[in-house]
Amino acid sequence: MDQSEQTAAPFRVVVFADFVCTYSYLAVEQIDRLAREYGVRPLWRPHWLHPETPLEGTPREQTPESIAKRERLHAWVKEMAPEHYPRMRFPEKRQYSFLAFEALEFACDRQRDFEFKTAVYDLMWTEERDIGKPETLLAAAERSGLDPDELKEALDERSYAERALDACNQARTIGITNTPTIFLGRTRINGWHYYEVLQSVMEKQGMRPRETVAG
Amino acid sequence: MEQCYIVDAAKAPWKRSSTEGVTFACQVLLSGEDGGPEALHFRFDDCPSVYAHMHLTSQFQLLLGGSMDFPRGVKHLEALAIHYTDHNMPYGPFAVSGCHDMLVLHPKAGGIISMANHDARRQINLSGRIFATLASSSDWQSLPGADHSAFKLLMPPGYGPAAVVVKSPAHAALAMPAAEFGRYEVVLEGSVIAEGQEIGPPGFRYVRGERAAEPLVTGDNGASVAFLTFDRDVLEGGITGEGLSVEAAEAMARAI
Repeated sequence: MDQSEQTAAPFRVVVFADFVCTYSYLAVEQIDRLAREYGVRPLWRPHWLHPETPLEGTPREQTPESIAKRERLHAWVKEMAPEHYPRMRFPEKRQYSFLAFEALEFACDRQRDFEFKTAVYDLMWTEERDIGKPETLLAAAERSGLDPDELKEALDERSYAERALDACNQARTIGITNTPTIFLGRTRINGWHYYEVLQSVMEKQGMRPRETVAG
Repeated sequence: MEQCYIVDAAKAPWKRSSTEGVTFACQVLLSGEDGGPEALHFRFDDCPSVYAHMHLTSQFQLLLGGSMDFPRGVKHLEALAIHYTDHNMPYGPFAVSGCHDMLVLHPKAGGIISMANHDARRQINLSGRIFATLASSSDWQSLPGADHSAFKLLMPPGYGPAAVVVKSPAHAALAMPAAEFGRYEVVLEGSVIAEGQEIGPPGFRYVRGERAAEPLVTGDNGASVAFLTFDRDVLEGGITGEGLSVEAAEAMARAI
């Protein structure tokens, strides 16, 4: 372990998010970058935004208001995350996220949660895959160095259902209401923010980018 | 220091302008150049995405016409509505449509800085407050001791900054407490008399000081007035002549 890792080890980064949340997706690259630059290992925890969504998902409303709202969301993403927008694929339905939460718990136990969550987000938001379907999660498992067969068994048996539900309930208990909610050390950030904000919060708490520490 | 400014918006010239591709008409009602408040009247052309930005001071936006949509907070505002932000609190991008008409009210010059500016992003006020609501979301309540007068609170009591709309019949004195951190009193309908001057919509008085100002008195047809009161946040930020504030002031000067 180098000096920067020793320094960064106790610094907690926790992200409460839902795979179906556009803003959570936009936070993935930022948090992954934070992990690389500051030598931290962020923990992603679930906050279930739409528990009412059935396994097969909920089609998007096609009312003029809903369509206009989606157009405004597109405009927002286009301006705020221009590097992501061209490859993003906005799902035609609201997907069921709880199965992915179960899989995330499985990945946690194998210390592959960080990689797994990125793979799930990518599959959903850039490859139009449905995360309510086990095969999508198995593909994410394969990409993140997990055993898809083992995950399939865990999903079939609902081995992690109770734990995932506990995690969702815990998020509500501690007052998480929107996604992403990001804890950087002592600071809580509600909602998506610019990467420079995250940097600034880290540095106010004494964290320095690895290159700076090494140099 | 006691401050009192009375503005008759009808007397200020309009100017067409644009910033970052967003076109609008604008009146500079108070420039803030004397260290006092800064007030601007904007009519944006329909635009699907006014760029994300922040001001370096507290701000009330009073939406007088048209609508504004903030997709991130899924907030749809239609006149009459308010949008409040603390200093260095970014908002947007947002859409404007439907004959947009809005007052931008600052307790002092606040400049404008696009969030495309990476240095600005490091100066975001993370504990800053942002609040938006439609006037139609609040109910009218009768004003104790004043027949035929009513008020509605647009911000929750105790929030910090405060916004209340009062409507009264002719010749009513609208007494308000002292505004230590500043208050805009904007005529929405009818007219009021302030310091012997009659002002109509969207004219206003701005007062700041430890003593209560003389009450506005409603005109012959009564009036509806929005009282928008700042809190301690006005002591923060501003155009200091250093760093980012120079850029913010220049950007505002270019825009208007």
